[in-house]
Amino acid sequence: MSSKIIEVTDLKKRFDDNTVLKNISFDVEKGDVVSVIGSSGSGKSTLLRCLIDLEKSDGGTISIEGKKLIDNGRYAPPKSVRSIISKMGMVFQHFNLFPHLSVKDNLLLAPKQRKLKSEPELEEEARQILEKVGLLEKIEAMPSQLSGGEKQRVAIARALMMHPDIILFDEPTSALDPELTGEVLNVIEALAKEKMTMIIVTHEMGFAKHVSSKVLFMDDGIILEEGSPKEIFESPKEKRTSEFLSSIIR
Amino acid sequence: MDNFSSQIGLYLQGTLVTLSIFAITLIISLPLGFIVTLMLNSKNKLISSFADAVVYVIRGTPLLLQLLFVYFGFPLIPVIGKYLTFSRFVSACIAFAINYACYFGEIFRGGLLSIDKGQWEASKVLGLTRFETLTKVIIPQMIRVCLPSISNETITLVKDTALVSIIGVAEILHYSEAAVNREGTPLPFLVAAAVYLIINFFVTVVFKRLEKNYEQ
Ligand SMILES: Nc1ncnc2c1ncn2[C@@H]1O[C@H](COP(=O)(O)OP(=O)(O)O)[C@@H](O)[C@H]1O
Ligand SMILES: [Mg+2]
Repeated sequence: MSSKIIEVTDLKKRFDDNTVLKNISFDVEKGDVVSVIGSSGSGKSTLLRCLIDLEKSDGGTISIEGKKLIDNGRYAPPKSVRSIISKMGMVFQHFNLFPHLSVKDNLLLAPKQRKLKSEPELEEEARQILEKVGLLEKIEAMPSQLSGGEKQRVAIARALMMHPDIILFDEPTSALDPELTGEVLNVIEALAKEKMTMIIVTHEMGFAKHVSSKVLFMDDGIILEEGSPKEIFESPKEKRTSEFLSSIIR
Repeated sequence: MDNFSSQIGLYLQGTLVTLSIFAITLIISLPLGFIVTLMLNSKNKLISSFADAVVYVIRGTPLLLQLLFVYFGFPLIPVIGKYLTFSRFVSACIAFAINYACYFGEIFRGGLLSIDKGQWEASKVLGLTRFETLTKVIIPQMIRVCLPSISNETITLVKDTALVSIIGVAEILHYSEAAVNREGTPLPFLVAAAVYLIINFFVTVVFKRLEKNYEQ
């Protein structure tokens, strides 16, 4: 078996007659932090959503930890799909916390249902993870009482409770006030140091340059350019890449 | 006023019948309303069109007519009529439960639509099943959104129970009307009015409590 934790080959996705992903291929090694950049509408979110089965792909192969979610356009049976995507967590632009549940219950709901551990053990774990994202004192708070940055850190903590091997981030700081992005990026960076495998769609170029092991530049449904942060940010080969980078102010 | 005290037993009995119809309707129509919502949202076109049609007919015709139809109309249906013959009280409960289930179904549907699809997505990526998502994530939020409308409908239901006097169910209005005719004074109507007001006072208190509980 290869060391690739994610392998994507010829992935295709269209919405009606709008082809959004055109033969996407890339792979991710265990412990990689892959940043996906590109202009709005280039297909970044759709790519993440196909990986975690929030969208059904129309063709190609996605293999997660050696197991095929979709093999040449044919999906694994539903049970296998569930088991394959359970290895991944996802963090959304708009947090998607459960507004009717406290921070603690947001963290505990899914692991309790899946009976990952006993309830006291899960509560203890929730405390540890909240401590890690710097929000232990908010454990009893309701989501509506949190700032955007705090909500996103809770969302990351909630994903961590399921012990994912891979976390997908779709513009985790785009909905935040600029002064709150740092606290979220710090948490993601800490995960990178622990060798968590992550794919991060982001417009934070400084961050991408600093934490990524690999950068994918997407343009109109294809990965136009792929390389180390140094290659992409300092000497992009494609004209579209440099145009995009110079259009981004920071 | 002695007349009144001798009648108190009848008023109480009428109140009890009013309360029974109210409670039975609520207990049946709330869960049934949820089933109506699921049917309205069904991916199966046959089921959703059927539910659409039922809701359209029930909401587009008077409850009074539906009540008369269940009590007088059902038994006259050829072949199956004999199986659809119910007492006054049961007929009243059937008509009310179906009627209110359709209204509640529409209310719940609105509540369901108001919930961001991100809630389903977050639940899915956390490994919750669809059923768990529905019961632990979606329905609790739906209830919060729907409570004010459910509260309004419930208050209307209290008043609508008066309609059943038309098929001779002996509820509070039935007794007070009889008393007015017998005694030639309008006071018994005021007694009935007081009963409805008292019930609705409690309904309002309960819903205020619930709304407070569901605040986030
Ligand atoms: N659910 C959907 N239905 C139809 N079109 C969609 C849907 N989601 C995304 N698209 C289209 O797919 C394209 C790529 O969108 P997206 O993946 O969100 O891009 P990005 O995240 O890079 O901004 C856009 O043209 C968008 O309009
Ligand atoms: Mg996007």
